[in-house]
Amino acid sequence: MKSPTIARSTITVALIGNPNTGKSTLFTALAGVRQRVGNYPGVTVEKKLGSLHLSGQACQVVDLPGTYSLAPRSPDEMVAVDVLLGRRADVGPIDIVLSIVDASNLERNLYLVSQVLELGVPTVVALNMVDIARARGLAIDVERLSTQLNVPVVEVQANRHRGIAELKAALVAAISSNSAVPESPFPTEFQREVTHLQSALAPRMRDEESTCGGEAMPRYLVERLLLDTSGYLQSELLGNHHSPGEADVAAELKAARGRLAAAGSPVPAVEAQARYAWVAQVLKGVIARPAERVTTRSDRIDRILTNKFWGTLLFVLAMLLVFSSVFVAAEPAMKAIDAVIGKLGQAVGAAMSEGPLESLLVDGVIGGVGSVLVFLPQILMLFFFLAILEDCGYMARAAYLMDKLMVRVGLSGKSFIPLLSSFACAIPGVMATRVIENRRDRLTTILVAPLMSCSARLPVYTVLIGAFIPRRTFAGGLLQLQGVTLFTLYLLGIVTAALVALVLKKTLLRGPTPPFVMELPSYKWPSPSTVLYRMGERGWSFVRRAGTLILAVSVIVWAASYYPHNAEVVEENLGPERDALTARLVQLDTGAAERAGLEDQKADMDHAIAAAYQRQSILGRMGRTIEPAVRPLGWDWRIGCAVIASFPAREVVMGALGVIYNLGKGLDVGDQTDQDRLAARMHAARWDDSQALVYNIPVALSIMVFFALCAQCASTLVVIRRETNSWRWPAFTFIYMTALAYLGALVTYQVGMRLPPF
Amino acid sequence: MHDLIPLSLLAPGQLANVSQVMGRPDQVHRLEELGLRGGAAIEMVQTGSPCIIRLAGQKLCFRADELLRVLVRRGAVT
Repeated sequence: MKSPTIARSTITVALIGNPNTGKSTLFTALAGVRQRVGNYPGVTVEKKLGSLHLSGQACQVVDLPGTYSLAPRSPDEMVAVDVLLGRRADVGPIDIVLSIVDASNLERNLYLVSQVLELGVPTVVALNMVDIARARGLAIDVERLSTQLNVPVVEVQANRHRGIAELKAALVAAISSNSAVPESPFPTEFQREVTHLQSALAPRMRDEESTCGGEAMPRYLVERLLLDTSGYLQSELLGNHHSPGEADVAAELKAARGRLAAAGSPVPAVEAQARYAWVAQVLKGVIARPAERVTTRSDRIDRILTNKFWGTLLFVLAMLLVFSSVFVAAEPAMKAIDAVIGKLGQAVGAAMSEGPLESLLVDGVIGGVGSVLVFLPQILMLFFFLAILEDCGYMARAAYLMDKLMVRVGLSGKSFIPLLSSFACAIPGVMATRVIENRRDRLTTILVAPLMSCSARLPVYTVLIGAFIPRRTFAGGLLQLQGVTLFTLYLLGIVTAALVALVLKKTLLRGPTPPFVMELPSYKWPSPSTVLYRMGERGWSFVRRAGTLILAVSVIVWAASYYPHNAEVVEENLGPERDALTARLVQLDTGAAERAGLEDQKADMDHAIAAAYQRQSILGRMGRTIEPAVRPLGWDWRIGCAVIASFPAREVVMGALGVIYNLGKGLDVGDQTDQDRLAARMHAARWDDSQALVYNIPVALSIMVFFALCAQCASTLVVIRRETNSWRWPAFTFIYMTALAYLGALVTYQVGMRLPPF
Repeated sequence: MHDLIPLSLLAPGQLANVSQVMGRPDQVHRLEELGLRGGAAIEMVQTGSPCIIRLAGQKLCFRADELLRVLVRRGAVT
């Protein structure tokens, strides 16, 4: 590592530590709200940058993902190592490493510190959670720890902002300090092999236009190359192509590992042996332990919360409480947003003359943005609760309790909460998968999350069930056919998700199941600033990312349903009649008795004109074009149209049906009279050619099954793209879900028509 | 001298010493990084799959399978 002789304009501090050490809290305590969150290109790792001032010097802080070890076995884990070694151009060289450690578990935390120290960057250790250590009866000699580590150690309490000033002072002092690379914890034969390998690799690194810019490979990476038996680093650092040198290196590695095994230092076991021996040295005389293990409050809470019976019961109750409050508490806000958007649309519509621009603004832009914003209250509420559960340490217990269930579909307990969240909305569900470290599990969870029946499907279900499923009861009134149908639709999503997950884990995302090990952190009071911050961050990232694309898609759908807008054709047929009605209305007194009837006629006429335009539009034509494809599902072109229009956002479907069945645009599906009006129109709908009724029970069921399984939500697809950093996965989700939906609807209708009438 | 037994045979509250972790080298390495390695003193907190064990003051939730097994020696912590 080069020592920075020229003072750069910005100092970069990298923050690293084990999970559950309060790292994010410390990051917020240092950087405040001046944070920028993004993604590292090509991986699913969140890139968090913050800024702070150290005695007048502008500093950048990089928050690295929590990890137990700097031993990369995947591209995601490589990010932290690359950042720390200054190999990422988008972050730049690191001047100081701030390593946060949990005082109640120093041994494991210092394992990571031992790796960090080998990087040769000035390091400061922040000792957090001393209070928890004290509660366990541990006494820590901080000064002695600092001396034996040969690194400044500062005691902090990140959640109470204690020790932050001292920590900043230590960072300032570290800027000007020289870092001495400590003695390697590894046995000499291992060090010799590393040196040998490094010089063997040197000519190769010079030849290639490598990431190191022609410099020798950092010693730490050479060490990792030797230790990594999974083969990941070998292909990552040396490339998959078999250049002449490649065989040499592979042979070299194999020979070196053989020699080490013979010398009693087998790879990779030698690392744990060496580092834990080093840790034991460093901790000598630092910790005073109680003779008897102290039963902490956490232990007492855990006796109930991880109990198979009481723990599960309390978990179910907690989830019921969270979700009912998500629905109940978010509803007024959602209604308010809907109302404001509606008013805004009306105001803009009134201020402008009728035409394409007005329609674009009102139906395309404002309507489109509204369809995104309306999810915001639910997302914020859900993340508020999830952040509390996560910050207090309960989330790991929930994953423990649900692991038994999830393991049957090839996932782990960590997938449960994201999937449960998807019943409210798949977007926060997909975003909540960040807690799953295993990439395959995470992808599987993301890919099946949209199959959970989200709240936007509920209006479709209620309207169609209310209109077409008979009100019958079974089992002495205990079971109600309509309720059973609704339940079956939810079950359909769950069962399909389970099957898809199983298939994915056996095919596309096949691979060795990593051992499931999860820390159950000590309980603590959630910090309000962390909770609020996390909630705001998720909400904002949703609005920003989904907002831009949803807007584009809404505009496209708007254009498809507006153009070509053949005014001549439509006006020629219906215009005169409407004008006559308008003229008669103008002549009548405001109090005239016939007025009400005439106004209704005029409204019907307006709707008929809107419907005529819709038939003429590109969307209408598309509906007719695909009619042969949707006929086997029992649908006419009108239903086809509504389904196409609802691909960007499924909640559009009722409004689209409203337009198609001449009820006007402002249909409110939450309103009982509007629901009844729509149901009446649907009951009366007939095929264009045969005059037979379109809707019957199999048709209604086939529509509902289609909506239960189809990926009709552009926002979800955009969020999947954001979370997986590739268009491949949203494309896959869209294709497999649409195919399943079509198949499901086809089977439902065809089987339904062959069954005896109900 | 006590016999080697799989971790799953420990009763709740029982103390033991980890003798060996068996499985793919890189998976074993991961467990070692978490402190679950030969010589570590553990306590079974809750049996089952996954089980909860106490290890150096922390609680770990752990699910073993045929490919990854932890062998322990029942008895006092050294």
